[in-house]
Amino acid sequence: MTLSKLVIRNLTRRRGRFLFTLMGITIGIASVVTFISLGGSLKSEIRRESAALGANLIVTPKGSCAYEQVSILTGEQLPTTITGEELARIRGIEGMTALPFLTGRTAIQNRPISVMGILPTETKPFKRWSVGKGGYFTDDESPGVVLGTVVADQFGLSPGSELTVRGESLPVIGVLAQTGGKDDVTIFMPLTVAQRLYEQDDRVSYVAVRVENPEELEAYSIKISEQVSLGVVSDKQMLSSVLTIVGTVNMTLQLIALVAVLAAAFGIINTMMTATYERKREIGILQALGARPRTIFSIFLFESAFYGLIGGAVGVVFGMLFSAVAAPHVSQNAFTAFVAGSGGGMLDISAIVGAIVFSTLIAALAGLYPAWRAARLSPVEAISYE
Amino acid sequence: MSEMIVRTNNVTKTYGKGAAATEALRGVSLSIPKGSFTCLVGPSGHGKSTLMHLIGGLDRPTGGTIYIDGEEITGLDAAGLSRIRSRKIGFVFQFFNLLRGLSAIENIETALMLSGRAEKGQGARAQELLDQVGLSEKANAYPSELSGGQQQRVAIARALANNPDLLLMDEPTGNLDSAAEAQIIEILESLNQQGKTIVIVTHNLEIARRAQNVVQIKDGKIAA
Repeated sequence: MTLSKLVIRNLTRRRGRFLFTLMGITIGIASVVTFISLGGSLKSEIRRESAALGANLIVTPKGSCAYEQVSILTGEQLPTTITGEELARIRGIEGMTALPFLTGRTAIQNRPISVMGILPTETKPFKRWSVGKGGYFTDDESPGVVLGTVVADQFGLSPGSELTVRGESLPVIGVLAQTGGKDDVTIFMPLTVAQRLYEQDDRVSYVAVRVENPEELEAYSIKISEQVSLGVVSDKQMLSSVLTIVGTVNMTLQLIALVAVLAAAFGIINTMMTATYERKREIGILQALGARPRTIFSIFLFESAFYGLIGGAVGVVFGMLFSAVAAPHVSQNAFTAFVAGSGGGMLDISAIVGAIVFSTLIAALAGLYPAWRAARLSPVEAISYE
Repeated sequence: MSEMIVRTNNVTKTYGKGAAATEALRGVSLSIPKGSFTCLVGPSGHGKSTLMHLIGGLDRPTGGTIYIDGEEITGLDAAGLSRIRSRKIGFVFQFFNLLRGLSAIENIETALMLSGRAEKGQGARAQELLDQVGLSEKANAYPSELSGGQQQRVAIARALANNPDLLLMDEPTGNLDSAAEAQIIEILESLNQQGKTIVIVTHNLEIARRAQNVVQIKDGKIAA
């Protein structure tokens, strides 16, 4: 017999109670893990999207806030206020490539889908796209759409199909090869077509700029500001401000999940308190056999911590399963579309160990008071307990 | 005079305070020689069990001093008393007090674990003790699968686990039929012959008849 065997025997003797108490901490840890892993995959997706932009400077309407910068990465619809004249001035600067984008939305079978107006010939090499099925735009004017691969699969569209956007039927020219990012869930059309359909005259939503020599980023940023009165942000700045927002949202969610863990901790306290009352006689027997107060304390503390250890381990597994399988189906916003594409939900080993250690610590903490109560029972009182 | 394993000096025990105070023991001075077979007898509620709990370090006296094997235990803290219980004393109770979730052999192994014996040596020692009380074949039985007499024999084996010199028993045959009682008495006599000091609180005249010393406790005192 060892102390740990004794502890496990004690716990498994009352299976029902063990399982119910365990469920509390499991659910708590699972929700924390879900949020951590969703947050983690969201952040890595945002990094990837930022890289997929192919740009190192973004020109946005003046006064754009961080939320609009998020939208550039997620493909949400943006206010379209940059004029054709401003665009021409930006594109006139030597030593960099500047491409306009117009964001819009449409619905296929009542599901909202992002639409993007692009300059097809320049955007393809800029984004390093390749065509998966069918063809690609042959010029920058003719009506038609090229689809992200997820859109094509989801709605059963293929080259030759017709797609109606804002009342106009457009032929599907081709389907892009998978990019792993939001381009997979977007419909592309020439900028002029988009401007006409969305009644934007010659306006665009944002301009992505690639400066040939990244060391001159600062200088080009100033050059652009001299030409137009618009916001200029580097990809790194944008990434960091977007990550900050996502981090704040995620932190809030994790705090809510922590409340669940806290509630579970009280469940453990309750179970362990009940155990000290019910097992008074058993405590007395152990004391008569020579168990020191410290030993009694350890037995109860280990029992409590064991809830955290098992609950934490099971919670991590459930949390990862949930964030990998269920979460992408929970809602249909752009963030979860990201996660769906990422195959996310996996935590790195340090986060897994961290979650289990955390859960064990919380449970041990919850067991302190009951264990202390058990340890200071008078032996004669305990042994005489009926 | 032979060596005394238990010595109590004017021990008193009062429960409660003020007007509600009850004096369970009012000055008991007692010496129990090593290797003896001693019975504490007397009417119920007159302090026999209280005295046994104090000798066993399960409770503390209100006044007076208690020595076990020459060591004063009255001043020891809870951990010190645990050490005495674990090394020097084996308890047997009227209601067997086996740990219900554990098998017979595991009950004994638990006592061995609590005295610090490594898991490796526990099994063999526990089996040896079960042999000694004639229950070799019941090693893996749970208390609920054993008769009262068998449970009490496991409890005795468990009390012997750490080879204590002193066995304290509170009505060990109080819940047994006469056949089981006879077996227990036989085991006790054999243990006594092996040199164990046995102190039994009992109403059982058969046991009292076999004891070398009979101490009568009445009204919290030793009756003359």
